[in-house]
Amino acid sequence: MKTIMLTVNGEAYELAVAPNDMLLDVIRDKLDLTGAKKGCDTGACGACTVIMDGEPILSCMTLAVRCHGREITTIEGLAPRGELHPLQQAAIDHNAVQCGFCTPGWLLSAKALLDGNPHPSQEEVRTAIAGNLCRCTGYKKIEDAISAVAGRNQGVVKGKNRD
Amino acid sequence: MSEACKTAFGEGPKAQIIAGGTDILPALKYRLKTPGILIDISSVPDLDTITYSEQEGLTVGALVTLRRLAAHKDVREKYPLLTQAALSVGSAQLQAMGTIGGNLCQDACCIYYNLPSVSRQGLDPCFKLGGGRCHAVQGSKICHATYSGDMAPALLALRACVTIADGTGENTIPLNELYSGRGEAPHVLEPGRILKGIQVPPPFHNVGIYVKMRIRKSIDYPLLGVAVNLLPNGKDGALKDILVGLTGVEKSPLLITPPDEIKDTYELEKQTEIMAQAARSKAHPIANTSGYSPRYRREMVSVYVRQGVLQALEIAAGRG
Repeated sequence: MKTIMLTVNGEAYELAVAPNDMLLDVIRDKLDLTGAKKGCDTGACGACTVIMDGEPILSCMTLAVRCHGREITTIEGLAPRGELHPLQQAAIDHNAVQCGFCTPGWLLSAKALLDGNPHPSQEEVRTAIAGNLCRCTGYKKIEDAISAVAGRNQGVVKGKNRD
Repeated sequence: MSEACKTAFGEGPKAQIIAGGTDILPALKYRLKTPGILIDISSVPDLDTITYSEQEGLTVGALVTLRRLAAHKDVREKYPLLTQAALSVGSAQLQAMGTIGGNLCQDACCIYYNLPSVSRQGLDPCFKLGGGRCHAVQGSKICHATYSGDMAPALLALRACVTIADGTGENTIPLNELYSGRGEAPHVLEPGRILKGIQVPPPFHNVGIYVKMRIRKSIDYPLLGVAVNLLPNGKDGALKDILVGLTGVEKSPLLITPPDEIKDTYELEKQTEIMAQAARSKAHPIANTSGYSPRYRREMVSVYVRQGVLQALEIAAGRG
């Protein structure tokens, strides 16, 4: 076992992890943050997406021992005080939710996109969530939800309306 | 770096290098590879830098992620071909994790090899798994796993070189010499030799484009990838120079240089056709990928080369 320091959703943790522990398993099993999902477990579906140091990454493909000192945002970090993030509210408003399994992943992919590019084009929205597979229905409502938030961002100075 | 090389050399084939991890981790999870140790090179200093100068061109450290490479100002402006190729790799998440060095060193793929252990139970071990047969080409004496990286064709078409460290020093070789042409071990790096960086010559007035065929826009490897790098504005609108890089159609990425006959013509259409046929003749896709037959993919090589040339010329025209 090796001890690592992780900041998850603004809180610092000191964790003992095995060399083969995946970040996803550590987040789910040790921190009890079960929003990130285990889908394919081989980096194809995007259900395990979290944001690490500002970048969307696949936590099922990330060894926890390599995350020492990193800052991670999971879906639980989007609504820390129970107040929904604009993306979450837009998902509800646009009925962009089916079974919910892919939802945490695409919300975080969308957040990473909007944090870096507050008003992306439709093509940029599609590209950003291309690695998040939905097996229920389709992507139209998801795109609509993200585009609605992106539309509201028009004219907003980057970084001013985050979280 | 020296420590990483020496450890890798000491451990021999038991050791596996890990950078972004996007290629090796599925292989570990599928039990395709069972290394004794993983050597994490992410803490090696100075491997995550990008530098550009008009005289020297572009130098990219092996640990630069594809996302960072694609977004870098000089890369976007001077080498848009690289930005395109990097943004065509997998998904945004894989681009954020995967490194340029890892992409160049990624393993070759085969639908009979890249399977979870439970799905392989009904198959005798193939050459790539240390066995004695190839399921993709029955009766073959060699492994036919297909090289499917997206960055290699783009970098080949840009005449890039790679620097390899071995613990005592380093040497720089043209990128095509990195590849062995063997499906079971597609690159030539022995234990203890680690890819350190990539050098791309100055762009001059070249125009490049990367066109990729795949079933879905996310996560899929290329069923065919064509990088075209050309120098326009020759006599009567002909090309002054052209290089084509291919991926997904052989055991290595391929660099297609202009055949001699291209020098006899100053007609753009003929030049394009000569390159399209030269590329097609070198591509040997086989039935080891999901989607599209080998015959179709081979036919599409010439179609994509023609398309690439046209698109590159449109970009050149737009630049004025």
